[in-house]
Amino acid sequence: MRISPGALLVLIAVSIPFIVQSRTVAAFIGLDMSVWQMIALGTVTISAIILWAVWPEKWLPGRPKLEEG
Amino acid sequence: MTTYIERFPAEARVIRSTFFTAFIALGIGALFGLLQVLHRTDVHRLVDSADYYHILTIHGVLLALTFTIFFLAGVFTWGLTTSLDRGVVDVRFTWAWYGLMVGGTALAAIPMFGGLIDGIDMSAGVLFTFYAPLQAHPLFYLGLALFIIGTWLAGADWIWTYLAWRRENPDERIPLPTFMVLTTTLFWYLSSLGVAIAVVVFLLPWSLGLLEQVNPLLTRTLFWYFGHPVVYFWLMPTYMLWYVLLPKVAGGKLFSDPLARVVFVLFLLLSTPTGIHHQYLDPGIAEGFKFIAMTNTMFLLLPSLLTAFTVVASVEHGARQRGGTGYLGWLGALPWRDPVFTGMALAGLMFAAAGFSGMVNAGMNINYLVHNTFWIVGHFHLTVGTAVALTFMAVTYWLLPQITGKPIWSRSVGLAQVVTWFVGMTLMSNAMHRGGLSGVPRRTAEPQYENFDFTPAFGTMAELDAGVVIGGSLLFLSAVLFLGNVFVSLTGGKDLTSIPENAYAEALSGAEDGPLILDNLKLWLVIAVLLVVLTYALPIGAIIDRGGLLGPGGSPYPLVVESGRAISIGLGEVVA
Repeated sequence: MRISPGALLVLIAVSIPFIVQSRTVAAFIGLDMSVWQMIALGTVTISAIILWAVWPEKWLPGRPKLEEG
Repeated sequence: MTTYIERFPAEARVIRSTFFTAFIALGIGALFGLLQVLHRTDVHRLVDSADYYHILTIHGVLLALTFTIFFLAGVFTWGLTTSLDRGVVDVRFTWAWYGLMVGGTALAAIPMFGGLIDGIDMSAGVLFTFYAPLQAHPLFYLGLALFIIGTWLAGADWIWTYLAWRRENPDERIPLPTFMVLTTTLFWYLSSLGVAIAVVVFLLPWSLGLLEQVNPLLTRTLFWYFGHPVVYFWLMPTYMLWYVLLPKVAGGKLFSDPLARVVFVLFLLLSTPTGIHHQYLDPGIAEGFKFIAMTNTMFLLLPSLLTAFTVVASVEHGARQRGGTGYLGWLGALPWRDPVFTGMALAGLMFAAAGFSGMVNAGMNINYLVHNTFWIVGHFHLTVGTAVALTFMAVTYWLLPQITGKPIWSRSVGLAQVVTWFVGMTLMSNAMHRGGLSGVPRRTAEPQYENFDFTPAFGTMAELDAGVVIGGSLLFLSAVLFLGNVFVSLTGGKDLTSIPENAYAEALSGAEDGPLILDNLKLWLVIAVLLVVLTYALPIGAIIDRGGLLGPGGSPYPLVVESGRAISIGLGEVVA
């Protein structure tokens, strides 16, 4: 994993306000997003975060390995 | 390595008692919070809507006053004794103020809960904002008065202990945590004076029948004289923990001790002359005085922004000490598995959002859009409900072992708990803010009306209600996880070897780098008093002059109307 499980949990939690507020941002630019569309966007976003976090670090050569929290 | 309980066993007993009292209040308050969200959204109404206001009062008083102030009293006692490296002068006095606060709370609780029981002819359904014309049973006001006096004695205890240390160390700079305790105490004496006068001089005699009537605008103004500053009585200990403990658990040092002192001096000066911004819609207070309150409130953003800079810089220093690199890569090196760090970090993040919604509240023009709406409830659940409450819960995972000698039962449950609180508050406060923008009122048992639907800017009211219910339920779950973790930890055995040393963060730039005048608390107190006199003398004088010291109240018309009429008459004469 690129980050510790604790950091992953926090990253997912912190993404939730952004997902929730994505409807507000969309409404500002005239896009009417339904709750289900927001949930779908959230699912994709969180899945991407998890995928990024669990992807083996060796796929990114040269990246320094951080100390686990 | 020495833990707090080994160094200060007598003080540790008092702090344990303040924490346990706070946790009992948290448990009851959280339960009543859940009942509220279920009731308002019409998911389940356990009580009659007339009794909703008793539940709201219990929720507000137990969480906003009892939980917060008992906890911060314990935190301040810990910070003072740890940083001075000496115990309190006389622990019997410490027990005395604790006992007075408990006694006051118990007295106030009798009518608060009595209102829910048919056989008891007492009531205190006056909400946390307990000004006239709503009237509570005299026991409620008497209890509040004793509670406030208890906090004053606690402050006297801290000052007494500091003065004893000063005699032993005449040439030392005031240690930072003690400096923060002292500035907060002085600010609290100044700001709680308003509610003390409101309760003792007006509301208590009125409830006893000794006064026939009171001036509602005067009691409102005296309440808000205290009602906004009390936010800083919760926030200043929270800031203290962000300054002295967060950098330590992040693995680093405080960025700047003098900058932290500047922040607390600014809070002492600016926190009190701001309360009128809660009264922008009150007739009887001239617009000019409201403008002054708005200006003072906006100035309060400065210490908060200084804090954001200093705390983030300190945390970044800690991350780099742990091997973090890059512009943002250092974030990954922070101890995210530690509920103490994560809880405080998430609380700080939420507080940034609270600052933005607070600017809306503070602005005279846009405040009219959200005044007395659900927006305000969303705002203060981000400030006291997250920045303060989540920090206090997170810090418990560090302080509880220090004052009991018992390790936390499960740090993983602790991590899940702080994250659950963050997610729950995200959903609930977002829905509250959006509901407020649609005009949904606060302090209302049934915000559903016949032949009328609120129209959110997007989405539906049902979605907002769902956000409130799901968020509120997650918050209750988080409170249960927290209290369960604390309870199971207390049933475990002592293990002092697994508990870190009792200490707080050192500073990269220490007190010696700041000017001595920062420690001149008498000077700052005098300036703070002058600012309060300048802000409040004229409006309070005008309120008494127009409505009388004992009522019947202010003019039903805003003063600006009278001015406008004068101008129109003048113009009429000119035209004629």
